[in-house]
Amino acid sequence: MKKTLRCLPLLLVALLCVCGGARRQKLYVYNWTYYMPPDVLDDFRKKFNIDLVYDVYPSNEDMFAKLKSGAKGYDIVVPSGDFVSIMIHEGMLAPIDKKRLPNFACIDTAVLRRVTFDQGNQFSVPYMMGASGIAVNKTQVARYEHSWSIFDRADLKDRMTMLDDMREVLGAALKYLGYSVNSVDTAELAKAKAVVLGWKKNIVKFDAESFAKGFASGEFRVVQGYAENIFKEYDSTRRDEVDFFIPAEGGPMYMDNLVILKNAPDKEAAYAFINYIHSPEVFARIVDYLGYPCINTAARPFLKRKPNYELADLRNCEFKEDLGEKLELYNRAWEEIRMGN
Amino acid sequence: MNRSKGGVPLFAFVVTAVFFYAPLLVLVCFSFNASRTMTWSGFSLRWYGELLFHSADLWHALGRSVIIALSSSVTATALGTLGAIGIYWYNFRFKRYISIASFLPLILPEIIMGVSLLILFAAVGLPLSLFTIFIAHVTFNLPFVVLIVSSRLDEFDYSVVEAAYDLGAREWDALVKVVLPISLPGIVAAFLIAVTLSLEDFVITFFVAGPGSTTLPLQIYSMIRFGVSPVINALSVMLLAASIALAFLGKGVYRYIFQR
Amino acid sequence: MRKNVGALYAFPIGLWITLFFVVPISVIVLYSFMAKGLYGGVVFRFSLDAYRELFNAALLHTALTTFLLAAVSTLLTLVLALPAAYYIARSRFRNTLLLLIIIPFWTNFLIRIYAWIAILGNNGFLNALLLRSGITHGYAHFLYNRYAVVIVLMYTYLPYAILPLYSAIEKFDFSLLEAARDLGATRTQAVFRVLLPNIKAGITTAVLFTFIPAFGQYAVPQLVGGRDSFMLGTVIARELTVSRNWPLASAIAAALTVMTTLSVLAFMRLNRSAGELIRESVP
Repeated sequence: MKKTLRCLPLLLVALLCVCGGARRQKLYVYNWTYYMPPDVLDDFRKKFNIDLVYDVYPSNEDMFAKLKSGAKGYDIVVPSGDFVSIMIHEGMLAPIDKKRLPNFACIDTAVLRRVTFDQGNQFSVPYMMGASGIAVNKTQVARYEHSWSIFDRADLKDRMTMLDDMREVLGAALKYLGYSVNSVDTAELAKAKAVVLGWKKNIVKFDAESFAKGFASGEFRVVQGYAENIFKEYDSTRRDEVDFFIPAEGGPMYMDNLVILKNAPDKEAAYAFINYIHSPEVFARIVDYLGYPCINTAARPFLKRKPNYELADLRNCEFKEDLGEKLELYNRAWEEIRMGN
Repeated sequence: MNRSKGGVPLFAFVVTAVFFYAPLLVLVCFSFNASRTMTWSGFSLRWYGELLFHSADLWHALGRSVIIALSSSVTATALGTLGAIGIYWYNFRFKRYISIASFLPLILPEIIMGVSLLILFAAVGLPLSLFTIFIAHVTFNLPFVVLIVSSRLDEFDYSVVEAAYDLGAREWDALVKVVLPISLPGIVAAFLIAVTLSLEDFVITFFVAGPGSTTLPLQIYSMIRFGVSPVINALSVMLLAASIALAFLGKGVYRYIFQR
Repeated sequence: MRKNVGALYAFPIGLWITLFFVVPISVIVLYSFMAKGLYGGVVFRFSLDAYRELFNAALLHTALTTFLLAAVSTLLTLVLALPAAYYIARSRFRNTLLLLIIIPFWTNFLIRIYAWIAILGNNGFLNALLLRSGITHGYAHFLYNRYAVVIVLMYTYLPYAILPLYSAIEKFDFSLLEAARDLGATRTQAVFRVLLPNIKAGITTAVLFTFIPAFGQYAVPQLVGGRDSFMLGTVIARELTVSRNWPLASAIAAALTVMTTLSVLAFMRLNRSAGELIRESVP
């Protein structure tokens, strides 16, 4: 009895070694919720025989708070442009070797030229580019302008929401006044704050979470939000009820990027994944699923449906950049907007 | 002459029951709704179909939640019960410190507990995983267990235990054969609350979960910004049905064992 | 008196709490006295900036709102929980009723909040009912304001109030009430002078389980609150993740902890003196 017991740990170790040797590669991807279609991920697993573990987060801030506090183990994360700058500054990213990414060449060079947060894309590979816009329920609202000024309309009072996101709202106000989305000029910010306080009187709440559901159920008639969330709530028969547009003045826009973390356990699998995502047919499937404008030129012929808005609509938009310490100015203004009555 | 409060308690109970079950009714209705939105458009089983055949992630997350809930609740109940007994009946050097410290996790906002644990794990190099979630859950469950068991001990007639000692019982016997059985309702209540709290938690879990250890509340929370799919409604309804079945089964077993 | 085994019993929990609670929390308190790192984290330099930032009007206003909403929710919860717990404790089917109360809480919290949004919303059930029956003519705004927050907070914490109250009432000797009635007390007097003082421990626990978590809540005001219901929990979350101001978040948390601890200690002191008096007077 004792002899068998003593052999047991040895057996276990032997077993683990055998399993360890035969184990597949593992890849840990940390991405926004609903940002990649499940069938694309399954195809990756089958094609490359890599065990893909896919976790999701609801916002850049939550993801960064975790990584900054020491969470380890992810290979690929998908931060927005301003967070790419921050992560580069904090030394969290591994440089991208473009020679290992043949499909990088498929990305639209016009889009690459607009990238300011990572010159030359040394640490990031663009994934999706988009902006928040305004959705109007056409069955309830007859005449309106395609502008941020819609939030000034008192007749739509308590039927509208804006995003609970200070860069999006203050950025919209700044653009509406003709200033830059990344302005750190106190006078400009004060004027933007005044505009937002005016809008605040007409909106029900600042909501970054349930605006799509509320809009689809008729609770809200005009929302500032993301197209993909809103259209997800609609079946194809009812899509005509919604008018989604990027306002004429432009607004804040973002680019989400695939990055490889410096402490990534398996960089080889990470490169395989990024390359796979940008292969034309795969990327087309993703764009069809999300409805974003397509930044991969080779994928465009494979698209099966029209995106919710085009790259052309984003011409007046500006990327949200990292503001470093000056973010405090926005914080202060946003606090006063949110906490005041 | 018995019901000195008359119809008020019954009324309160009915209001409470309605209050509790109204959202559930809504949930059940919408899980059979043909469309995604919150307006009824016809009966359909599509969400159940999607749940059973296309939602492996959800089921894995549920599995992890259950494993953590059970293991952390058992541990918390054990630690907390022993601790409550020790604190309640004895005096020892660090008694005041331990009794206050056991109570504190209740007072702290969850988000701070989550971040502080994350910092601790990062500092000692413990990789985030199901185990770290387990640690966090035991920690926040402890004050509930201690409080509930203590209040049960409050009414415990200590002379029964003294009688046991007088009859020659050793410490272990006194504990297992006298104290624990009498405080069993309190222990069971504490265990149930611990399981409930553990299954629900997402704030603390968010910070201490590692890659690949998503629990059900995390999965749902991450969906919130982007529209919670009605598949979750279907899942909730199934879980509810399962819990009800389990509860009544448990009651039957309990009655069979303890009340011949 | 036999061997003092108390230390042995309490050792495991003492060790666990010290390792996994006291140590991390001390780190947080430490952080609150440090300077803010640019992108989160802290710079290891002593600084009272965080505490200075604590004393600004907007934050204090939010703290007051939080206290108000938590207190009102706790009060209303108690008012409902007490008679409900009484009914359950006196019923023949008490175990079944208890189970009935607990079961809804095995569904996910977030899902139940969404269900409430469906009920309270402008196009939701409640409004539909009121309109259809002609009681109101326009939409009543139940959602995205303080009332919604209070209702959902009550909903969230009712079972945590009912359980300890039930536990206390169940142990109560009801013949005392009968004796009081025999001695000429009215119903109300019997309840307030005899029943309530004897279940003080249960009431205290119920208040603890309700008020404290309500104070630190952030999911509820985030999802169903509106312009007028910004709570401290939301502020802490924002400072931590969006503003990346860890010292300030830690300072707010520390202040919040102190506030709740003081209120609870005060409440317990009040209770204990009354409870002890009663216990001493009974032979």
